Amino acid sequence: MASPLLSVRDLTTVIRTEGIEFEVVRGVSFDMYPNEILGLVGESGCGKTMTALSVMGLIPAPAARIAGGTVLFGDRDLVSLSERDMREVRGDDISMIFQDPLTSLDPMFRIGHLLTEVIRRHRPVSRSQAEAMALQALAEVELPDPETRMSQYPHQLSGGMRQRVMIAMALMLDPDILIADEPTTALDVTVQAQILDRLLGQQRRRGMSMLLITHDLGVVAAVADRVAVMYSGEIVEQAPVTQLFSDPQHPYTQGLLRAVPQTRHQRGALHTIPGRVPPPQFVPPGCPFSPRCSQALARCWEEHPDLVPENGRRLRCFNPQPLTPA
Amino acid sequence: MRYLAGRTVYMLIILAISSVAVFYAIRLSGGDATAARLPASATEADRETLREVLGLNDPIYQQYFTYMGRLLSGDLGNSLTNNALISKMVIEHGRNSIILGAAAFLLVFLVGVPLGMLASVRRNTFTDQGIMSLSVAGMAVPNFWLALLSIWLFASVLGWLPSAGCCEPKQLILPAIVLAAEGTALTVRMTRSAMLENLDSDWVRTLRAGGLSEARVIGKHVFRNALIPIISLAGLRIGQIVGYALIVEVIFGWPGLGQVLVNAVLRRDYPVAQFFSLVLVVMVVLGNWFADLGYLAANPRLRKI
Repeated sequence: MASPLLSVRDLTTVIRTEGIEFEVVRGVSFDMYPNEILGLVGESGCGKTMTALSVMGLIPAPAARIAGGTVLFGDRDLVSLSERDMREVRGDDISMIFQDPLTSLDPMFRIGHLLTEVIRRHRPVSRSQAEAMALQALAEVELPDPETRMSQYPHQLSGGMRQRVMIAMALMLDPDILIADEPTTALDVTVQAQILDRLLGQQRRRGMSMLLITHDLGVVAAVADRVAVMYSGEIVEQAPVTQLFSDPQHPYTQGLLRAVPQTRHQRGALHTIPGRVPPPQFVPPGCPFSPRCSQALARCWEEHPDLVPENGRRLRCFNPQPLTPA
Repeated sequence: MRYLAGRTVYMLIILAISSVAVFYAIRLSGGDATAARLPASATEADRETLREVLGLNDPIYQQYFTYMGRLLSGDLGNSLTNNALISKMVIEHGRNSIILGAAAFLLVFLVGVPLGMLASVRRNTFTDQGIMSLSVAGMAVPNFWLALLSIWLFASVLGWLPSAGCCEPKQLILPAIVLAAEGTALTVRMTRSAMLENLDSDWVRTLRAGGLSEARVIGKHVFRNALIPIISLAGLRIGQIVGYALIVEVIFGWPGLGQVLVNAVLRRDYPVAQFFSLVLVVMVVLGNWFADLGYLAANPRLRKI
């Protein structure tokens, strides 16, 4: 395999509330390669978004800070990069799409202004050149009537159109890496497929590396090349997408897969994983999943398992069992 | 446009209602109008004749319509005390009031908005707490007391500024600051909270993700959004300044509309009192109407698509 574009190693991010610091991202490591989609899945509150924001250097200071680890991009460590240098990277080399398109665009400025401002921040082009670039980016995401949209305000566009604007904004400077944080969650189901399609088409065409954060396993199965599953701030399993879906090893991954409703099964109560993700202040001392795990051993309650690489996958579990049909 | 038309109709209704209220309030407040015009030795018969001449014995609603009719034809009437033309008094004293009011209004925003922005950028630091403490003081201290205190300090003790009078720049400083104090304090707080509220928006993260600098994100985008509540409350600031001008003009001997009005009320000079009250009401209502206009201009979501 080619050398990675981005190498995240032992990334640890802490949040401070009422004088107490606790870890929301705990020793996360992963690589991103060109022309590849890495899916990052897990329940709400498991640290997916904080991981992405840490890579972007956008964690909400001063409440949060990166306590350790490196994010190697080329020969630079983004964690130790100055804010000034990091701004050169953001929006140009690495860009990000956020979850809620309705609130993610400044309501007081026209679409054209928002796009050209970012272009002119990174490229020494004239206003009209920037406008041409923005227009082309809007056309590429197949936003209908892009000339009109340029002079409209965000509130005049639908949610799906706004998300296309967000995608155009993220792609217009041809980034090496795109981080998409739940890009379709806030949209109508019919629009979701279109947006995902646009995103995937652009990723393939540009040979871009993409980190797709989602809790929707259907989306991951459809588009990702590799998948990392996060639980309680750490990666618990990572594997190529076919392997993860056909042979999930971690009991949490298995639980997630069982929780997806399937039409071929009998009707009845949906499968759930009992309990909930522990809040980061109260992570159990052993395996953080042990309180919810049906196959936990005594050891799981006391020792914290490592993420062990094996046969092209990584797994953090003392007692993996084959998946039994629910 | 609909919005604007609605606000304009609303403004006219308020003006009509308040003109009635002002007219009745002055007449119902008691006292004898003839005392302003006739010497103390005048007989009751003389007084009665004067009342008849001035139309004061007519029913109040009839007086109102007579008065409004004259007003609309451009006849403002004369003062009862010295027979001066009210139209002349308005021009002369209005100019002074506008100078003082405009100075205070500019102070409110030129001082209040930057201080509020500074406090929001330095949130929870010593600077922020210092600015906020000052602003609490500015809101808590009654302005008549602040006026007296500032005269004592800057005029009597330090001798830097004149204590009263008109109309040199030096004489404007103290009354303008006193008049602006409370509005500035409120503007500081409002600017700070509007800035902080917008700083938490999702779109701020989008701008940062695009690589824009903090100066750009805060100074341009967050500020532009925070401007909406600031502008929409500018009308209230105008009302506040107009109201407080009564007190401040009297204390500092600044011959503006407020001072004339206070004197006219004390002397039961009906024509002067009611016209100047009306002028103040019109200023407040117009101020709010301008703020509505500004709100419309500042907020693209309210403009017709």
